[in-house]
Amino acid sequence: MSLATPLDLLKLNLDERVYVKLRGARELVGTLQAFDSHCNFVLSDAVETIYQLIDGELKSREKSSEMIFVRGDTVALITTPLPDE
Amino acid sequence: MSFFGFNSKLPNEGNRQRHDHGKKDNNNSPLDFEDTYKGYGEYEREEDDYLNDETFGDDVAFGTDFDFGHGSSSANSGMISTNQSQGQQGFNDPVGMQGAQAQQQQFQMHSSYAAAASTTVPQQQAQMNVTMDMRPMESLWSNQPDMSTQVGQNEVLSMEELERQQIQMQQQQQHPPPQMFMPNYPNQQPQQPQQQFQNNYQNNFQNNFQNPQNMNNQFQQPPPPQIFNQPPPPNQQQTQAQMNQAPVHMDSPGQFNPQHMHAMHAVPGGMPMPMQMNNQISNHLHHQQFDPSLELKNQNQHRQQQVMGQNIGQNELLENDQALSTPSPKPTHQVLQREDGSIASNGNNNQSYIHIKDKGPRRMSRRSEPLSSEEQKRLQIRHAKVEKILKNAGLMTPRDKDFITRYQLSQIVTEDPYNEDFYFQVYKIIQTGGVAGKSNKDLIARAYLEHSGHRLGGRYKRADVALQRMQNQVEKAVTVAKERPQKNKDNTDSAREGVLGKISSSLNSKAPRRQLQIPSPKLSDEEDESKLSSHASSESLEEVTESLNNVGINQSSRSRRRSSYAFSSVDQISVLSRSGGRKFVLSLIETVYEEVLELEAQLRSGNETDSTGLWESLHIGDEAYDVSPFISMLSFDKGVKIMPRIFNFLDKASKLKLLQTFFNELSHLNVIIISSFKTNPTPTEAQLKKIELFQGVFLKIIVSFLSSSADFIEIMGLLLHLIRNNNVSFISTSTLGLNLITILISRAAIIKQDCNRTNSLSSPDIQAWNEIYDKLFISLETKLSLVFPPQEYRDTVVKETSQSGQLQQSNTQYFDQSYIWQFLASLALSGKLNHQRIIIDEVRDEIFGTINCAEQMKSLPDQSSAYRRDKLYQDLNLFLNVMGLVARDGEISELK
Repeated sequence: MSLATPLDLLKLNLDERVYVKLRGARELVGTLQAFDSHCNFVLSDAVETIYQLIDGELKSREKSSEMIFVRGDTVALITTPLPDE
Repeated sequence: MSFFGFNSKLPNEGNRQRHDHGKKDNNNSPLDFEDTYKGYGEYEREEDDYLNDETFGDDVAFGTDFDFGHGSSSANSGMISTNQSQGQQGFNDPVGMQGAQAQQQQFQMHSSYAAAASTTVPQQQAQMNVTMDMRPMESLWSNQPDMSTQVGQNEVLSMEELERQQIQMQQQQQHPPPQMFMPNYPNQQPQQPQQQFQNNYQNNFQNNFQNPQNMNNQFQQPPPPQIFNQPPPPNQQQTQAQMNQAPVHMDSPGQFNPQHMHAMHAVPGGMPMPMQMNNQISNHLHHQQFDPSLELKNQNQHRQQQVMGQNIGQNELLENDQALSTPSPKPTHQVLQREDGSIASNGNNNQSYIHIKDKGPRRMSRRSEPLSSEEQKRLQIRHAKVEKILKNAGLMTPRDKDFITRYQLSQIVTEDPYNEDFYFQVYKIIQTGGVAGKSNKDLIARAYLEHSGHRLGGRYKRADVALQRMQNQVEKAVTVAKERPQKNKDNTDSAREGVLGKISSSLNSKAPRRQLQIPSPKLSDEEDESKLSSHASSESLEEVTESLNNVGINQSSRSRRRSSYAFSSVDQISVLSRSGGRKFVLSLIETVYEEVLELEAQLRSGNETDSTGLWESLHIGDEAYDVSPFISMLSFDKGVKIMPRIFNFLDKASKLKLLQTFFNELSHLNVIIISSFKTNPTPTEAQLKKIELFQGVFLKIIVSFLSSSADFIEIMGLLLHLIRNNNVSFISTSTLGLNLITILISRAAIIKQDCNRTNSLSSPDIQAWNEIYDKLFISLETKLSLVFPPQEYRDTVVKETSQSGQLQQSNTQYFDQSYIWQFLASLALSGKLNHQRIIIDEVRDEIFGTINCAEQMKSLPDQSSAYRRDKLYQDLNLFLNVMGLVARDGEISELK
């Protein structure tokens, strides 16, 4: 197991909970099931949080999915989730 | 007013008008243009786009009613037809000739020849009146001069040419560029430039002046077709040709006497007299006629241009007819030659013409039965096909082709389908319901044949043969694929790099092509990735060991530290940090997965498996860290999940060592910590899931190992490891820990019972067991009641589990304590009477509490309460039965 590329680091987090920030003021927390070189993801037990600014007030709503495919071009960053998540 | 009877309303207005004031109209018998020209030229044309048609070919739409089906699509037949139309126009037109008198002589000569040659021509031409689709000028795309096209250009353009010539003559000064023609006639002999000039102006004159004569002379109609044998390139094409020719004409501004012009041109070539020129040309032609090599050349040229021999045939026919009908062959030759030459402004044309003529007679029969348009179309399509096929035919030998297919196949064939083509294999199994693999090659071969558009079996539809061949190829491809990795290692691949596209030895479903190729540091040859990583880890290991030694921490102090860590933190991160950090542990897990996958692949292929790599990657017994990395691996779900697969490849000693390590450091096990109500009083749903997973996976392994392969001493050893290195009372507060202890002692008890029956257990063994049991019991003594979790913890667990919907059926609302009673039962089973007494004393409150709880259930009417009551008694009796007691209906009595 070498860690030559950034995606190798991602590989370490397979089957682990990851936090994925997406374009369009969305974020996802889920268990990383699969990914590829385009940063496409398959997450399981994922919770998507969508932020919206309504009348100057930041609101968020959550969507849960048992299994979700995330297309790589929307991914802004990936990290491990905060401990409380 | 129109020249040659052209409709003056044609879009080509500018030209025409210029032309008009250059020439005087001389319409003796006005013809309806529509009859003769069929609307040809009614199309908008861009003035400056002269090269368009040459480059892309003339669109068929240009002449609407032409028959395109005639013969092949070669330039020749096209030439003929178009020429014909123009020719007809030409001779039918009452062309007003300028300076007709001056040219009279010249074109009388021509006309006579033409007349002689033309007796039969009209009918044939009627047959030949087929307009071919103009194709791109091949000379543009190849180095070969395309004489036919050029010829055609000349002729087709005749109208425009004439106009331009005249305009130029009127407006411009002479500038003779005879050299301009030179490039066009690579094959020509020195005289040809002169010929050309001559031909050029002759042609012009013929166009201009012959027609008037023809009008009056029926016999002279045929000649124009001959003259215009070449295809009718669009006017734009012709303009170019005209440009070339124009200079020639400009030599004699205002003069239309061919001879004069002839003379003018002849001067550079050393031939002052036109007549001489003619003679020379004719001689030359005759000479050529008998020169086989020239003929060959011509043939070649024809092939290049036409590909299909048919055109030649047609030409031949035409010419042949003319020749036959010509009383005096020689003059005809001359005329024809001139015409050709002039038209084409290409010396080769003469040769080709002659050649055609020579060949002509043979094809006579074919002409006699004209093809229907449908047949012609089909023929044309066929020719196009054949042409396509023949174009590169024979470039590659069958061996070459085989090589290519093999190479392509080798990219999609794999020796190890389960690893590299996993999803397809699974898909196939799902599809067929059978085991994949056997018909693999056949499938690939079939798919490849279909996909690559091979006609199965080719001409004779021998599909089976083709399939067999392809299967062979697949077979070989597999061999190639096998060789690939080695080749890569040897770096011999570079020689072929890029020859057949990118050679991708590592591209498969497992390692798809990457969008980003980040250059990784080159590994030295003998080190593959896993070796490197283990190498690196062992290096870091040494480093850590060294630093530890420097600080002066010895083995014993470290182990002491370990046990004292047990309560320090539930935080997974801190535990991980003591075994190399999260990243390190995760990378170890990945390495383990790689090793396991590798081993599994070997197992599938029937090879012997060597688990030393796997064993090393597990880092069992790794003393470099406070907590063994192996224990930390079990902190991750994926680390737990891989365990059954690891166990498949470990021998018994390894398994035992693994379990010893496991029990040794049980306190550090993340799952134990989170499953203990002491360290984790409020477990989350995720944590409970984790516990459940661990129970379902790892405990199962332990149970099966203990029950199948471990002997009594080994079990004692494991228990000893647990007792020595861990705080047993802490572990007993954990569901999992309690379960583990239960498993060990109950298994030991069962073996002991069996051995008692057979008396196979030696007294030292029994003695050792008693010692160990005493140790265990001492560590648990006075804390046995603590194994029961507090009510708070139970409630939390119940809440979380009911939320997650797990265990819904059995105990949605109740905390399952059966594992505790199981533990107590097994503990009591192995203990002596005094042990049992102590146990009962310690848990008496729990026993009666359980009975009370069960009795309360009795008062509740619903079914679940009754069920729960039964369950409580059942669990309790599991323990009580060991001591010959039974709890029933709120009372404890002796078991009967």
